[in-house]
Amino acid sequence: MPSSVFYRQFERHDHAAGLHAHATTYCPGCGHGLAQKYLAEAIDELGVQDRTVLVSPVGCSVFSYYYFDVGNTQAAHGRAPAVGLGHKTANPDSIVICYQGDGDLASIGLAEIISTAQMGIPITVIFANNAIYGMTGGQMAPTTLTGQRTTTTPEGRTLFSGQPLKVAEMIAGLDGPVFVERVALYDNKHRTHARRAIKKALELQVNGVGFAFIEVLAECPTHLKLSPEETEHWVRDNMEPVFPLGVKKDITDGPHYPTIPTPSFDVERILSVLGTTSEQPTRYATGFPAHLDPDDISLKLAGAGGDGAQTAAMLITRSAIAEGFDSTHIPSYGPESRGGTSYADVHVAAVEVLSPAAPHPHVLVAFNAPSLAKFGPTVRAGGVVIYDSSIITEVPDGRADGVRMVGVPFTAVAKELGSAVVKNIVALGALQGVTQLFPKDTFLAAIRASLGNHRAMLALDVQAFERGAALAAEFVAGP
Amino acid sequence: MPVALEVTALETRVTSNVNKPEPTLLPEYCKGCGRCIDSCTKGCISLGTEINPLTGLVPVTLDLDRCNHCGLCIDACPEPFGMRPEGEEVAFELVDPTHLCGPRPFDSPIPIPRPDVTVPLPERSTMVMKGTYAVAVGAVLAGCRHVYGYPITPSTEGAELMAKVQPALDGVFVQAVSEVAAVNMMYGAGGAGKRCMTFTSSPGFSLMLEGISYMIGAEVPAVFVNIMRGGPGLGNIAPEQADIKLACRGLGHGNTQAIVFAPATPQEMLDCSMLAFELAFQYRNPVVILGDGYLGQMTGKVRLPDHMVVPGIPEWAVSGDHSHRGNLICSIELSEVGLEAHNLMLDAKYDRMTAAEQRADLHRCDDADVILVACNTPAQSAKGAVKELRAKGVKAGLFRPITLWPFPIDALRAVLPQAHRLVVVEASSGQLEDEVRLALSHAEVQPPPMSHVQRQGGMLPSQAEIVEHVLSVEGVR
Repeated sequence: MPSSVFYRQFERHDHAAGLHAHATTYCPGCGHGLAQKYLAEAIDELGVQDRTVLVSPVGCSVFSYYYFDVGNTQAAHGRAPAVGLGHKTANPDSIVICYQGDGDLASIGLAEIISTAQMGIPITVIFANNAIYGMTGGQMAPTTLTGQRTTTTPEGRTLFSGQPLKVAEMIAGLDGPVFVERVALYDNKHRTHARRAIKKALELQVNGVGFAFIEVLAECPTHLKLSPEETEHWVRDNMEPVFPLGVKKDITDGPHYPTIPTPSFDVERILSVLGTTSEQPTRYATGFPAHLDPDDISLKLAGAGGDGAQTAAMLITRSAIAEGFDSTHIPSYGPESRGGTSYADVHVAAVEVLSPAAPHPHVLVAFNAPSLAKFGPTVRAGGVVIYDSSIITEVPDGRADGVRMVGVPFTAVAKELGSAVVKNIVALGALQGVTQLFPKDTFLAAIRASLGNHRAMLALDVQAFERGAALAAEFVAGP
Repeated sequence: MPVALEVTALETRVTSNVNKPEPTLLPEYCKGCGRCIDSCTKGCISLGTEINPLTGLVPVTLDLDRCNHCGLCIDACPEPFGMRPEGEEVAFELVDPTHLCGPRPFDSPIPIPRPDVTVPLPERSTMVMKGTYAVAVGAVLAGCRHVYGYPITPSTEGAELMAKVQPALDGVFVQAVSEVAAVNMMYGAGGAGKRCMTFTSSPGFSLMLEGISYMIGAEVPAVFVNIMRGGPGLGNIAPEQADIKLACRGLGHGNTQAIVFAPATPQEMLDCSMLAFELAFQYRNPVVILGDGYLGQMTGKVRLPDHMVVPGIPEWAVSGDHSHRGNLICSIELSEVGLEAHNLMLDAKYDRMTAAEQRADLHRCDDADVILVACNTPAQSAKGAVKELRAKGVKAGLFRPITLWPFPIDALRAVLPQAHRLVVVEASSGQLEDEVRLALSHAEVQPPPMSHVQRQGGMLPSQAEIVEHVLSVEGVR
C-alpha cells in the first residue's frame, strides 16, 4: 500500500480521469517520484500528516499538491521558502516543507532560500538537483555541469556561462541551518540513505530544532536523452564528482530555534503597548490663539538635521491637540541622517487643518542662516521670525512688511545649560514667549508627556524652555 | 473503450513475513523506468517487451520465484501506486478509469470556520501620531499580528512601529530580504488564514505586483500600504500620487482588481486600515491603501475606534491542522475552461465590490458650481481651496473618493447635474483624472467640462494654485 500521505486518488490531476488517478506526471526514471515517496513516508512515520503544509514550487514538481494529502500551497517561481516562512510564522505548529527544483531554488529563488536558511526557522527544504530545467524543456540550470549540453548551451556549458552551483555547500556555509546533507538515488544503498536523510530533516522540524536542507541528486532521463539506467550511471559518474555526497553541516545538538509565541489579543495589553491612556490632558488655554489668526495658524521650523526642528514641531502639535484644537506636523528632510536640511510645517487650527503645508507661515523658527534666507521671505505680513542669534549673525533683507525679527541665542543658552541638544527646547520657549501661542504649562505638559522613560531630561528641558521664554519676553518688552 | 482491469490476475500470495512482503505491480502504473531491475539482487525483474495498451508504456515483468522479500524494489519505485507490498491491501479498487470522476475520494475532514470576534474598547484620550503609525495601529486593532516588509522611505516608520509593537503582542514582524520575498511571506501567512500586511512605497510596490497577482488568483487576503513617492525609477522620497494607475489598473498580470483606499488624514488612515482587513477577508482578496509621502509622515490627531477584532480562522485556510488538511492555496488552473470559469468568478467578485464598496466624502457639493476632485493630502489642500473660493463668491465643493477602485461613481453622478465644471487636483500627471473619466464613461455620464491642477516630482498642488486655477477658468466662463 502506498503511504497514506498520498491521496488515494490523484483527484486534482485532471479530476483523476483515467490513469491519472494513480500515476504521477513524472517521466519514467525521474528522481522526483522517489524523493517525494520518501518524503511521504517520513510524514507518515512521524505522524504529522494533519500538521503538514507542503509548498509546491514551479518546475516539474509544480503539481506536488496533486499527490500529497496534506495542507497544500503552490508558490510563485523560486519563492517557496518565503511562502513557507509565512506559513511557519503564521502557524508555528504546522510542519512546513518546501520542495524545490534547481531552477526554482538555485536560480530565481536564491535570495529567498539564502535568507530563510540564514534565519534558521525550523522548516524543511528538499532540493531536487538534476542539473537541468525539466519543465521548460532542457535548458541550462545553475547546477548544469561544465561541458554539459542543454538547449541553451548547445555547445556545452562553458566556464563563461557560469560553473555548477554547489548549493548544499553554500547553505552549509550559513549560520542558520542545523542540518545540511546531499544524497543520491542511483542505487539501493544511496536510496536507503536518502530516505533516512529526508526523515531526519523532517524530524528536526518536528522537534523544533531548526532549518534542515536536503539536496537530492535526481535523474532527468528525458532531458539528458539517456535511458533511466544510463541516467543513474550519469549521476554517479558525472554529477557526484562535482556535487559530493554527504553531511555538509550538523549542529543538531546545539540550541534549538526559539519558540514562536502565540499572538495576544488581550485588550489591556494591546492598549498599553499602543501607548494609549484614558487620562484627559489638562487644558491651560482659555481659547484659540486668535491674536495670531482667527482659525488657522501655520508655523515653519527650519534647520539642519540634528537641530531638533522636528521634535519642537511635534511638541507644538501635541500641545495644540491637548488643548482640543486640530493640528498637523509634516516633516521634510534631505537624504542625510545628520547635517542635511530638516524642515517642519505645522498647522494649528480651531476646527480642522485643511492644507497641511506652510508655504506662507505666520511664524518661522530658523536654526541656521540658510534656513532664514530661504524661508524668511515667505513669512506673511504681520508674522514673526525667531532665529538662533548664536549662529545667525547677519540677518538678510527681503521680508514682508511688518514681520518681527526676534533673535534668541538658542545654541549659547543650551550650551550654558550643559547640553547643546536642548537648543530646540530653548527655541520652543522663545516661540512661546514671543507668540503666546499657548500658555507655558501647555508646552511643559507636552514636554513631560513626550519624554516617556527619559524623565532624567525633564529638569534640563524645563530650564531650557524657561530661559528661552524669558529671553523672548525681554526681547518683546524691548530695551 | 470500457476497460475491465483484471485485479484478480494478480493473485494474492501468502507471505511468510508480513513485514517484508513480496512486491506486486499493476502494469498500468508502471512506467517501465527499470529502477527496480538493478535494485533486485535476485534478478527477479526484467524489462518488459509488450506495450501496455492503456499507457503506451512498457512495464517491467516480475518473476518472483527467487524473491527473498527484501523490499528494495519497492523502495526503488518512484510511483506511489507502482511497485507495492503484496497483501497489505487486497481491497485496492481499480475500477474502470472512466468512472473515476466523482466525489472527492480522500477523507479530509470538513473544515469548521472559527469566526472573528469583535471586542469593545474602552474610551481612550485622543492620540497624536503620524499617518504610517495610524495605519499600523488600525491594523493591530483589526487583529493583524503578522507583518512582513522591507524598509523603504517614506513608509518605513510603519514597519518600525510594527517591529516594536508586534513582538510586544507576541506577534510576528519579519524584515524580508526584498519586497518580492515580503509579498510571498504574505502569500504564505494569508494563505494560512492570518491577517497580514506590509508597508511599502512606490518602487517596492512595483516589486510586489507579481505576488499580488498570485494572491488575487489564489484568493489570499492581505493589506498593502503603499506610501507613494516620486517616480518613475528611483525618483525621490517626496510625495506623489503616481501609483494610482498601478493600484487600480495594474496589479500584476492577468485579470486583477483590488479595493483601493485613498485616505486623507491620519485618522482616516486608521479607519481605512481596520476596514481594509475586514474587506480583505470578506472578499478573499488583497486590499491596497494608498497614501502619499506627506500623509505617511504627517502627524495629526487620532481617536481610537470603539472596538477591536480577534480574528478567527476561515474554513479555506491552509493552517496546518486536521480540519484544514484538504485545503489548497493555488493560482494554477491548467484547463482553459476552468481558468475562464475562475476568471468569471473573480469578475463576479469584482462586481460585488463595485456595487457595495464605493466610498466617498462630499464636502459642500450640494450646491457647487465647481466640483474639485482630489484624494489623499491634495484633498486637504482642495478643501482649503473650497473655503477660500467660497469666501471669494465661487460656489466650490470637494468630491473626495475614499475608494479609488471601485470609483464612487454613484455619489459623483448624484452631484453632477448642477455642476458646470470638474477640476481634478492631483500629484500625478492625470492618473486620478483617468479614473474619473473611465468611471464616467462606464456609467455613460456626460460630464461637464473638466480641467485639472497637477503637480509632480514631489510637489503637491497648493491651495493657492487650486484657487488660482478655478478663478482663471471661472473668469473666462
